[in-house]
Amino acid sequence: MAATRRSAKPKIRPPRKHESEVSPEETWNRLSRNIREIHNHNAAKLSFEENYRYAYNMVLYKSGSMLYDGVCRLVAENVDRLAEEEIIPAFRSGGSSDPMQQGQEAELLLRALRRVWNFHTGNMLKLRDILKYMDRVYTKSNDVPEIWDAGLDIFLEHIIRAPIQDHIVSAVLILIQIERDGYVINRSAVKECVDVLLDLAVDHNGKTVYKRDVEPAVLTASEAFYKVEAERLVTTCDASEYLRRVEARFESEKSRTHHYLYFQTGPPLRKILEQYLLTQNLSTILNMPNSGLDSMIDVHKVEDINRLYRLSTMVPIGLPTLRRALKDSILRRGKDINQSSVNSDHQEDGEMDGEGAGAGTAQAKGKGKGKARVQGGTPQTLTVALKWVQDVLDLNDKFDRLWKEAFEMNREVEGSFHEAFEDFVNLNEKAPEFISLFIDENLKKGLRGKTDTEVDLVLEKTITVFRYITEKDAFERYYKNHLAKRLLFGRSVSDDAERGMLAKLKIECGYQFTQKLEGMFNDMKISQETMQAYRDYLENTSPPELELSVTVTTSTFWPMSHSASTCVLPELLTRACKSFEHFYLSRHSGRRLTWQPSLGNADVRVQFKSRKHDLNVSTFALVILLLFDNIAGDEFLTYEELKSATLIPEPELQRHLQSLACAKYKILKKHPPGRDIDPSDSFSFNNDFACPMQKIKISTVSVKVESTEERKETRERIDEERQYQTEACIVRIMKDRKRMTHNDLINEVTRQLAMRFQPNPQDIKKRIETLIDREYLERCEDRKSYNYLA
Amino acid sequence: MNVPSSEKDDGWVKLVSPDQYSFLVKRSVAMMSGTLKNMLSVDSSFKEALANTCPINERAPVVEKVCEYMAFKAHYEGAGAKEEVPINEFTERIPPEVALELLLTADYLEV
Repeated sequence: MAATRRSAKPKIRPPRKHESEVSPEETWNRLSRNIREIHNHNAAKLSFEENYRYAYNMVLYKSGSMLYDGVCRLVAENVDRLAEEEIIPAFRSGGSSDPMQQGQEAELLLRALRRVWNFHTGNMLKLRDILKYMDRVYTKSNDVPEIWDAGLDIFLEHIIRAPIQDHIVSAVLILIQIERDGYVINRSAVKECVDVLLDLAVDHNGKTVYKRDVEPAVLTASEAFYKVEAERLVTTCDASEYLRRVEARFESEKSRTHHYLYFQTGPPLRKILEQYLLTQNLSTILNMPNSGLDSMIDVHKVEDINRLYRLSTMVPIGLPTLRRALKDSILRRGKDINQSSVNSDHQEDGEMDGEGAGAGTAQAKGKGKGKARVQGGTPQTLTVALKWVQDVLDLNDKFDRLWKEAFEMNREVEGSFHEAFEDFVNLNEKAPEFISLFIDENLKKGLRGKTDTEVDLVLEKTITVFRYITEKDAFERYYKNHLAKRLLFGRSVSDDAERGMLAKLKIECGYQFTQKLEGMFNDMKISQETMQAYRDYLENTSPPELELSVTVTTSTFWPMSHSASTCVLPELLTRACKSFEHFYLSRHSGRRLTWQPSLGNADVRVQFKSRKHDLNVSTFALVILLLFDNIAGDEFLTYEELKSATLIPEPELQRHLQSLACAKYKILKKHPPGRDIDPSDSFSFNNDFACPMQKIKISTVSVKVESTEERKETRERIDEERQYQTEACIVRIMKDRKRMTHNDLINEVTRQLAMRFQPNPQDIKKRIETLIDREYLERCEDRKSYNYLA
Repeated sequence: MNVPSSEKDDGWVKLVSPDQYSFLVKRSVAMMSGTLKNMLSVDSSFKEALANTCPINERAPVVEKVCEYMAFKAHYEGAGAKEEVPINEFTERIPPEVALELLLTADYLEV
């Protein structure tokens, strides 16, 4: 249709043929001449259009293969020529060993390669433009690479070959080595060369010449280098220096891969550094005498430790190794503290200025002056306890600081710290007692020079040590004792501080833990109210001759009941007691009151020769003094007489006699004089006593730290209590679950009791057996589990 | 389209036909042709690139039509999908007598 319509219009002229009169051979001759001109950098004199037309015509007139092969041949010739002219002369002479000269030679070679590459790619760009029609039409249908890719292949084949290839790789290696040795090299030369090699793919997966030839060589050379380097550093440097060098090496290799190698080389290279510089030598470095981890901690080299930490986290075995070393270090320090505490414990009877730790001795002396009444061993034992806790706190502080400053608050490191502290704190079996004593000291005296916040800080820290104790129940027992004494003797200066501490314990161990302690506070409060009521009651009746103040304590809350030491009270005191009993029992029927004279104290006015003094003495001391009231001033009472008259238990009697006769204020005279009380001694009233002060407090020589027997007793009581707790726990669990396997039960019990102490599976088993005997539980037929019997 | 050849500007390129006609087109318009683009490429810097002048081995009416088409293409190349390209109007403007030559030239110039 279209043809018929167009037939009316002017005739379509046949298109003119593009110089078809010239033969393909002639065309190719012209074109190849021009290509040679291009290779000689004379493109500017050539017409693009002309050459394009030549190529166009050759493709059009079926001479594509002649064109393609011819161009490839010309390119190859040119590349060979360039290699001959540029690269071969730049080969290393190999004669020189001067690193600077070696470096320059290597650089020249790399530069030559780059130059050849630049020429080649420049030429290929022009050829690609001219031969565009060939690329569009000929190459695809004939399944040959486009001319640009063919150019790359030619370059690969003619340049990247022996010996040029080896020379280039070794030049790169030489430059890297020179830079590693601390000289400056021309990085851009390497970079340019590496870029060339990165552009050349050797197979269809895109593997480059760099990846094939350069990277493995670089890695092998690096491995050899760092093997030697690590050896050298370990033998010549101390730990800090080593770490500094290693870090610098990591830095420089990083910048190397970043600036002139390929980024993919980074990870394997780093692996080599990690392997030889860290993994292999880490424990050697940590344990280096005089400069390893221990001494770094000693002198608090935060920066070095931080570097150590950072480097350690790079390798998988690093952190565990570091943690182990830290744990060892803490354990060793902790054991030192334990050891020095045991040592000074043994010195108890020795001289004050024995060979104990310097600080501890000084402290003991200071105290000796301030509180001259206390004698010999006891204060020092107390000092030992305080010193131990203080040392542990200091150590804790030190590592806490390190943790924050050097270990970047790493949780795993913190875990190791805790483990280590827990381990060594529990190695000291007196730890619960010592900590309780420490708190006691702070709540008793510490408040006087310190502000509330300071005390709070100290207690807060103590709690951290407390956390390490596994035998929390033992601590509770001691704390209860100390608290009871503080409360009853009114020594606790601040109720707020006490309650604050209690709150802290409650947070740590839960409500159950502090229940009894809170009961004690409650008793104190109720007693105050009771005394108010009692005083009101006395106003209406005839008051006894002396003023009486009573604290009523619930026996289950307070720790005293078991050590109830009684005595024969003088008539005067008995009457007063009866009066209170009458009052109290009338208000609360069905209750039983037991008097605890060992916990009381009294104010008494005594007439000496020179003047009257108000003495504050313990109840027992008052009982003893009242005996002397009945005899003439210069008469004696023997130890035996005192004993039979008062019936005070012997250790108590000795303690109180000692505080009356041998301490700072000698109210009684001992015959013969001496420091310790002997059953053969006799005593008389010291009428000549003189003192500038009106009021004198005769504090009892206290037994602060337990003696061995007491410790044994406490131990037994704790064990007994644990038995009950274990049983209660088992029953609680079984009541809930009804049926459980042996292992599950043991695990659950252990888990629940861990808050208070670390139960021994053997003991739990024993408890289960007694519960079976008592028919709380029964064994199932499978012999592995138990049933709960309601 | 027949602009005096004395006018010279960086933004303009001269196309010369063998029958001594010169066509000045914007560089961006000339760039529509792959061949002209390579010809004028500064990287290769052949004679044409230096002189900013390209010989085209066709008679003037054909070259003129090629220039018109390149301008047309440059104008509508960035057009969105909604904008209608008046391709029919253009084809109607092609004189049948040059159609075949135009076709070959288009192939040669890679327009």
